[in-house]
Amino acid sequence: MAERKRVQPDLEFVKGVMEAGGDTVNRCYQCATCSIVCPLSTDESPFPRKEMLWAQWGLGSKLAGDADVWLCHNCGDCTKYCPRDARPGDVLSAIRINAIKHYAQPKALANLLDSAGGVIGTVIASMLTVLVVAFLWSLYTKEAFPIPEGTVVYHKFLTVIPIDALFLSISALVIYAGIKGVLRFWGDISKGAGLTDSYTGKAATPSLGPFLVKYVWPAVKEILTHERFKKCGEVAERATGHLWVLWSFIILFTVTIIVMIQADVLAILFPDAGFETPLVQYHPVKIAANIGAVMLIAGIWMLRNMRNRKTAEGTIKSTTQDWILIWLIFAVGVSGVAAEIIRLMDVAILAYPVYVLHLGCVATLFLSLPYSKFAHLLYRTTAYVHESWARDVRAGKAGFGLEKMVTGWQYEGKDIH
Amino acid sequence: MSKKIGFYIYTGDGIGEALDIDKLVEVATGLGLEIVRTHADLYSPEGAAMVKQDIDNEGVDAVIIAGISPRYEFEILDFPGIIVEKASLRELVTWSHPVNADDENADAQKEHVQELAEDYIRMAVVKVQKSEPIEPFKTETEEINQRILIIGGGVTGLTAALEAAEAGHESILVERQAELGGWGAKLRKQVPVGPDYSELINPVVHDLIDRVNASDKITVKTNTEVARIGNAPGDFKVSLKETGTKSEWDAPFPLTDEEMLDESGKELSAEDQKKKYAEKNEGRKEYMEEDSGAGVCGAVILASGWKPYEPAEDEFKHLAWGNPNVITNCQFEEIAKKGKIVRPSDGKEVKSVAFIQSPGGSKDDADFPYASVATSLVSLKQAKYLREDQPEDGKAYVLYEHMRASGQYEYFYQGLQNDPGIFLTKGDVTEVKDNGSGGLTVNVDNTLIGGDISLDVDLAVLATGMVPTTKDDPVVNLAYRQGPGFRDLDLFGGYCDSNFICFPYETRRTGIYAAGGVRRGMTIEESMEDAAGATLKALQCLKAIDEGHSVHPRTWDFDYPDFYFQRCTQCKRCTEECPFGALDDDEKGTPKLNPSRCRRCGTCMGACPERIINFKDYSIDIVGSMIKSIEVPDDDEDKLRLLIFACENDAYPALDMAARKGLSWSPLARIIPVRCLGSVNVAWIKDAMSSGMDGALLLGCKFGDDYQCHFVKGSELSEKRMANVAESLASLGIEAERVKMAQVAIDEYDQIPKIINEFMAEIVELGPNPFKGF
Repeated sequence: MAERKRVQPDLEFVKGVMEAGGDTVNRCYQCATCSIVCPLSTDESPFPRKEMLWAQWGLGSKLAGDADVWLCHNCGDCTKYCPRDARPGDVLSAIRINAIKHYAQPKALANLLDSAGGVIGTVIASMLTVLVVAFLWSLYTKEAFPIPEGTVVYHKFLTVIPIDALFLSISALVIYAGIKGVLRFWGDISKGAGLTDSYTGKAATPSLGPFLVKYVWPAVKEILTHERFKKCGEVAERATGHLWVLWSFIILFTVTIIVMIQADVLAILFPDAGFETPLVQYHPVKIAANIGAVMLIAGIWMLRNMRNRKTAEGTIKSTTQDWILIWLIFAVGVSGVAAEIIRLMDVAILAYPVYVLHLGCVATLFLSLPYSKFAHLLYRTTAYVHESWARDVRAGKAGFGLEKMVTGWQYEGKDIH
Repeated sequence: MSKKIGFYIYTGDGIGEALDIDKLVEVATGLGLEIVRTHADLYSPEGAAMVKQDIDNEGVDAVIIAGISPRYEFEILDFPGIIVEKASLRELVTWSHPVNADDENADAQKEHVQELAEDYIRMAVVKVQKSEPIEPFKTETEEINQRILIIGGGVTGLTAALEAAEAGHESILVERQAELGGWGAKLRKQVPVGPDYSELINPVVHDLIDRVNASDKITVKTNTEVARIGNAPGDFKVSLKETGTKSEWDAPFPLTDEEMLDESGKELSAEDQKKKYAEKNEGRKEYMEEDSGAGVCGAVILASGWKPYEPAEDEFKHLAWGNPNVITNCQFEEIAKKGKIVRPSDGKEVKSVAFIQSPGGSKDDADFPYASVATSLVSLKQAKYLREDQPEDGKAYVLYEHMRASGQYEYFYQGLQNDPGIFLTKGDVTEVKDNGSGGLTVNVDNTLIGGDISLDVDLAVLATGMVPTTKDDPVVNLAYRQGPGFRDLDLFGGYCDSNFICFPYETRRTGIYAAGGVRRGMTIEESMEDAAGATLKALQCLKAIDEGHSVHPRTWDFDYPDFYFQRCTQCKRCTEECPFGALDDDEKGTPKLNPSRCRRCGTCMGACPERIINFKDYSIDIVGSMIKSIEVPDDDEDKLRLLIFACENDAYPALDMAARKGLSWSPLARIIPVRCLGSVNVAWIKDAMSSGMDGALLLGCKFGDDYQCHFVKGSELSEKRMANVAESLASLGIEAERVKMAQVAIDEYDQIPKIINEFMAEIVELGPNPFKGF
């Protein structure tokens, strides 16, 4: 007989979940209505019923190893039908928020970005940083500071190079923290799925090529189309808004990269080839950027409306975390569009401050990627990938090149079926 | 006494078309009746007026209504002071035996049905002719005593005393302990007794005690026990004594069945039995002796409650019973009442507790013996104690097979569930052991959280049950012939209840009502409700005795059995078989009836071999004459006759229901309703056989562990008696198979035709009664 699992409920974990919006967790009495009504739950590993009990029992490590937490899109169906008002949807949201904090490094940043005050402070700090950099840059360019003379060209205030210097350093931190978090998460959910215990005793490790083609790409495709999100019962409108925001990010990210390459590389190599910013309004990249900006604002506004309505209806609960992300994205979009319009109107006294605000918001949003609710981008994608990966590993089709099936659903070496 | 009988035939509801009414009138006039009338709308004010006119103007003093079953439309044709008998032509004749005019046998069928109706008329007439007017029983004392004795001064007894006081009745509240309050006063906190049910409350018992002490209608006697209760409801003679002392008035115990045998297993002689009885009850007065110093009470409420189940030393070994840190819920309560919860082994403050609901591990999911909703709720309550003591890091694990939180207690369960430090899971607790560091390891299999787990705790609490005080102790200490306690309580695990679902509070001793934990495991709130219910039953009892009718369940019955003692042979069957201990006896063994204890079931009448026990309107002679009034053709094999004794409580209503549902049975059967199969005297079987009837069927209630008999033992006794009568019939050359008993529940009306017709087929197979025509 396998070693008996010693259970040590973590009371702090339960309290943490309750504080993060899952205060109803203890009402669950395991009727399983939630798992039945959930459009995404599977027969093999139904959720959110088991997560409710684990959360009640403060089994943090067990939940950390549970990818199902991330397969939930919080449609609220379970909450709507729960006969005891235990609000499983909100509990899973709370668990996710706590998981993000758990994987965040350094923790101080996560704690900072946890409150509205912290976020506003970060925006202000980012703006000050931008101003400092711009001031130093003005010493080099001899442009007037803080309001350069002549028509409004942000280039005069801050060229792409110092911006890149600023943002690439944030990127480095974000990428480091993100990868670290995702790897730890991957390790935990692999362990939770019992994948570390093959008969060979080795962990299943993917080889990059097949992994990308067979697991990552299908997951990304699913995310890009929101195929699964759209199944969520209560939230068709939410999926649309979310899809718009996602695609606007992709568009804006792409044009930013293009502009970066153009301005940082090509413009320096070929100073007269017309790679200067700002781009003219009919430039395809500019058109794409403007479309992206409009989609971002429209999408986030849809999400805001939906969240307001569903919160009022009681289908979902909204926490500070939820509103921070919505308003931060909204601020990025609106400040960006405002900066562009004011630039075109050539009102220097307004344009530069708005530009600084925009950069501050973007920097904060960017920085919060691994630390705030924004991190669902990382962990949900990882969970999607892991789901199909784990299924194949268990079936002996991936990872080890196994001949023998690893059956059952295991936890820390113990079959828990 | 000759009566002037008015006979009325109802011709509505198709009776007039189905039967030859003129011939029925002829039968009645042929029996010497002068007033015979028919009416198509008899059950109407006009019909009632017609009967009333005959009573007023013609001097009619007995009325027979032939029409609808006596169980329906009974209010309109009710004439106080007049004997009223009802023959069921509609249900038992026409509705249950429809004749299709197109059938080729229609004429023969019609003849059968007509004969059936005529027999029911003959039976009704002879019954009324033989019945005597009923005079209500009056107690010897001028007025019955309205005071109530309440045994047990816990929540139930206190509530009962207050309820009685509010209804204007005095009571004596007897408590064994030095203080009132019982277990309810030993709690730190208690489960709520009202909305919103989600939080623990302070024990309500203190308020009850204050109110009882303030009441001038309640006499409290603490440190007191009942030595004996003699006589009968309305006039119980109550002898009290100091707790734990011996008294000459202690109720004597009769010899058990084993004690009546000698070493070789033979029954002791009467002399020796007497000697043995005297030895066994040395120092105690005879049970019939009356204590002149006894107090008088009209009715008794037994609220003696429960005591904690104490596991034996070698019990629950796998749960480490014997380890100082494994305790029962009562022991935990005691610790919690004193202050912060500490570990018995070393006095350390307890941070984690496992509350174990079921001892069976993976083999058996039953809760601890005598567990109930109350023990489940107590575990939740005690989990909360720990959280009160250790709000930061206290962990209470409730490990259950069943979480019993019925009714409104669901809210209590929810309220406690919301506490993050209370962890609940279903699972099999397979082992508890010392973990080597002062605490315990609890192994739980098949948990909801996934698989087999083990927990480290400071303390394990077993949710042991509440054992009724009546399990090993008579408590009421009745000075009755059948002994001081209640009979057959082992059927209910010692709980004091005689027919749980149908008659709550009722015990097998009239005028004594059980309430609270002695009746079943229950919460304080339930006990209080129970106390109110039992008090109302006690008041009802006093009222019934005052009016002179049966207390339960035949509350309309003013009659009681009459003994013709000159012919009594002191065989003691009646005194022993009476299910309610209504009969005492004297030195010689002559029975003494206590009419206010009697429930009028007639079990004594059925038991008496000398046939000297009879009722005014229900006697050996009346029923025997009814049987003899049935016309039995001597030489017609198509006209065999089957006699059915149908219990009035379940079988007869089932027959009515079958008829109303259009079900049909053999027209050769003649049905006589009886109070209980226990009242069927074997003389009637002999009467039936000697008058040439071909078979006798007894339709009665189910008996055994899940008996449905309203008089507890009637159908069971009947079964035994019929086995004996079969033997004596066989010796006369009559097949034993001609007498049969069948059990039918009130809702099994659909079985009725099958039971009757199959038996009829067996009789046809046997052929006519060989005694026919003699």
